[in-house]
Amino acid sequence: MNDSIKPDDIDPVIHERVRLAIVSALAVAPEMSFNELKSTLGLSDGNLSAHATSLQKAGYIEIAKSFKGRRPYTALRLTAVGQEAFRRYVETLRKIIEKGTQTMDEPK
Amino acid sequence: MDHDEAQVRMQEIQRIMERATLWTILPGTSAITGGLMVLGGCLVSYLMFRSVKDPSFAPIDFASLLDLSLNGQIAFCVMWFLIGVGGIVAEIHFAQLQARRQGISPKGRSARLAFFSLTPSVVIAMVLTVKFLAPTNLRSQEIQYIAPVWMMLYGTGVYTAGLFSVRAPRTLGKAFIAAGVASIGFFQQYGVITAALSFGLFHIAFGLYVIGKRGAGLAT
Repeated sequence: MNDSIKPDDIDPVIHERVRLAIVSALAVAPEMSFNELKSTLGLSDGNLSAHATSLQKAGYIEIAKSFKGRRPYTALRLTAVGQEAFRRYVETLRKIIEKGTQTMDEPK
Repeated sequence: MDHDEAQVRMQEIQRIMERATLWTILPGTSAITGGLMVLGGCLVSYLMFRSVKDPSFAPIDFASLLDLSLNGQIAFCVMWFLIGVGGIVAEIHFAQLQARRQGISPKGRSARLAFFSLTPSVVIAMVLTVKFLAPTNLRSQEIQYIAPVWMMLYGTGVYTAGLFSVRAPRTLGKAFIAAGVASIGFFQQYGVITAALSFGLFHIAFGLYVIGKRGAGLAT
């Protein structure tokens, strides 16, 4: 098995810090509202909105808009594609860490 | 990306997951169980107070404790102590169970921060309760303070713990603080009712909200 890490292995959509934070939160919470996600990650409306749209365009998250009573409600969920992309990203990080640790352990 | 950056990224992912998880491991059923236990405790308190032959206080006033016999007073205190301990044990147990089910450490940084945020106010409330119930110092007004003091301090703890999670626990904390302020300001003599409304119904409502939000499968 070839364990070498190529630049293409790092998903540029998830690699961005805010988008990684959104995907990480949604990876453990099946669904979060826009406001929950905003307060959990300490983001502004505009920032969260812009990055959530990018993730939606990539097919990584679903954004469902509805009303709760008379108030608009936005729910965000990770799609199967998003879950797989997140899993791959974490796996890549693990490989980089393991490789780095092995390099540090090797006698010079 | 080098080794150090990858490690920082991993830590960041872990921190965010813990933060989001703190919400998902909130066990709805244990909140409801705790709420029902408090409602039961309030009902038993009411029945104990009502059984007094020559009452000086109304049966919905915790100061009625003064009307009880010594054995009655001890039974009353033991009952509330057990309800408190039972509620905390159930909460911790169910949260751990839920975390394990989701494959997450229940002792993560966010969970520890939340725990340590809640602890000081609960300890202060306990100290004040012991002070208010000291046999040499047993006075009606101080007994009446116990329920509102618990509401305000518990609310403060829940609010602070909620700072490491999402909005729902903070809302619960604010509701407790508001209930405590109203209770100490205007409803001191209605302690049994205000305790039932806050510690009983607020917890039940919160538990139902968590279950509704995350689905019965997630709310142990």
